Amino acid sequence: MEKIIGMVMPMLDGSGITLQIFFITLALSLPLGLLVALARISGIRPLGFAMEVYIWLMRGTPLMLQLLFVYFALPMVGILLPDLAAALLAFTLNYAAYFAEIFRSGIQSIERGQYEAAKTLGMTYIQTMRRIIIPQMLKRVLPPISNETINLVKDTSLIYILAMNDLLRVARTIVQREFDMTPFVIAGVFYLAMTFVLTWLFNRLEARYAKYDE
Amino acid sequence: MSDDVMIRMNQIYKKFNQLEVLKGINLEVKRGEVLAIIGPSGSGKSTLLRCLNRLETIEKGAIEVEGEFLVQEKNGVTTYTDAVTSKMILGKMGMVFQQFNLFPHMTVLENLIEAPILVKNMKSEDIIPIAEQLLAKVGLLDKRDVYPSRLSGGQKQRVAIARALTMKPDIMLFDEPTSALDPELTGEVLKTMRQLAEEHMTMIVVTHEMAFAREVANKVIFMADGEIVEEGSPKSFFANPQEIRTKSFLQNML
Repeated sequence: MEKIIGMVMPMLDGSGITLQIFFITLALSLPLGLLVALARISGIRPLGFAMEVYIWLMRGTPLMLQLLFVYFALPMVGILLPDLAAALLAFTLNYAAYFAEIFRSGIQSIERGQYEAAKTLGMTYIQTMRRIIIPQMLKRVLPPISNETINLVKDTSLIYILAMNDLLRVARTIVQREFDMTPFVIAGVFYLAMTFVLTWLFNRLEARYAKYDE
Repeated sequence: MSDDVMIRMNQIYKKFNQLEVLKGINLEVKRGEVLAIIGPSGSGKSTLLRCLNRLETIEKGAIEVEGEFLVQEKNGVTTYTDAVTSKMILGKMGMVFQQFNLFPHMTVLENLIEAPILVKNMKSEDIIPIAEQLLAKVGLLDKRDVYPSRLSGGQKQRVAIARALTMKPDIMLFDEPTSALDPELTGEVLKTMRQLAEEHMTMIVVTHEMAFAREVANKVIFMADGEIVEEGSPKSFFANPQEIRTKSFLQNML
C-alpha cells in the first residue's frame, strides 16, 4: 500500500501538467475554433480560403508531427518557446481546427428560416449570429464537442515525446525504475477518472439544453 | 404617387438561374388595404412577397414603399437603395412565414422582445408590457413562458404574428400562414388576421384560403406562371372570373 502511495504522489504531479495542458488548450481552442468557423463561412473569399488551408494542414498531419515541429523546428528559425507554451501552441492550433469544423457544421445545420425571421425583424448579421444562430448551434454540437474534449484528455499524453513530465511520462519512469507495471494501471485509472468527470459535465450541459426542443 | 398608395411594385422581373419566376409584375397596395394573392404553387406568389422585403433580390423593376424607393431603375440599371434607407424601408414591414420560424431556444415572451431590444434598443421593462398586450390580443398570454415546441401549430403562428407586431410595422406580409397547419387549426390564425384587418393594418396575404380572400380581402390577385392573370374586388373576382386559368383554378379549389 505504501508503495502504491509512493507511486501515486509523483503521478499526481504529472497529472497536474496533463490537466494544465487540457484546460488551457480547451479554453483557447474553443473560442478560436468558433472564430475560424465564422471566418470560413463569412463569404469573404480570401479569408475563407485561408481557413480551409489551415484546417487542412491541421487535420491532414499528425498531432505528433505538429508538436515536434513547434518544439524543434521553430527554434531553428529563431522562435524559441518555453516547453509548456510550445505544447499549448500545437494543441490549440490542432484542436481549434477540429472544433471549427464541428461549429461550422452546426451553424450550417440551422434552418434558413431562422435567418429570414431575424432579418425581417431587422436584426443585423452579427446580431443574428450572436443571439439566434450560435446559441442553437451550441446545443446541436454538444455531442461531437464532448467527443473531441475526451480525445484531448488522452492526446495530452503525446507531450511525452517532448520530455515534459506529464502523467504518462511519470508512470513510465517509475515502471522502468521499479520494474512494476502498477503505474500504468494507475495512469489508466487517472485518465478514466478525468473522462468520467467530463462525461458527467457534458451530460449536465445536455440536460440543461434539453429545456427546449426543436 | 397619391398619398394613400403604400406599396408600388413596377415591372418586377425575377429569375432563379434560367427559370423566370416573375415576368413583369405590377402591383399597388393602398393604406389599410388587405390584398390576397392566390394561385397555383409555382406561380411566383411567395417569391413576389419575398422580393418586397428583400429576402429575394429582383433583376429588374422598381419597388416603392411609402414614397421611398427600395429599388429602381437608374440609367437603365436596377439599383437598390443605400443600406440605411433599405433598413428603414424594410423596418416598415413585418413578415409571417409558412413555417412560423419562431426561435426555438427562446420562450414565447423572449421571442417577442428580442428584436425590439436588439434593433430598437428598447428597455425590457418598456417592451414587456407591450409584448404581453400583444400576446393577450392573440389569446396566448398564458403561454408567455413556454418554449415554442410546446405549442400547437396554430399557437405558434399566432405567436409569430405577435412577434412581427412588436416591431410596429405599417405593413404585414403573410406567406401562406395557414398552409402548414392542420385544418382544424387554421381558424384561430385566420381569426387573428381578420382582427388585424379590422384594425386597418395594411396586409398582403399569400394564401390558399379562398374563404379568407373572399371575406377579408379588399382586393384579390390571381397569379399563374409568374404573371398576374386577373385582379379585382373579391366579390367580382369570385362571382365572375374572366380568365380561363382563373376559372379552372377556382373550380379546383372550391
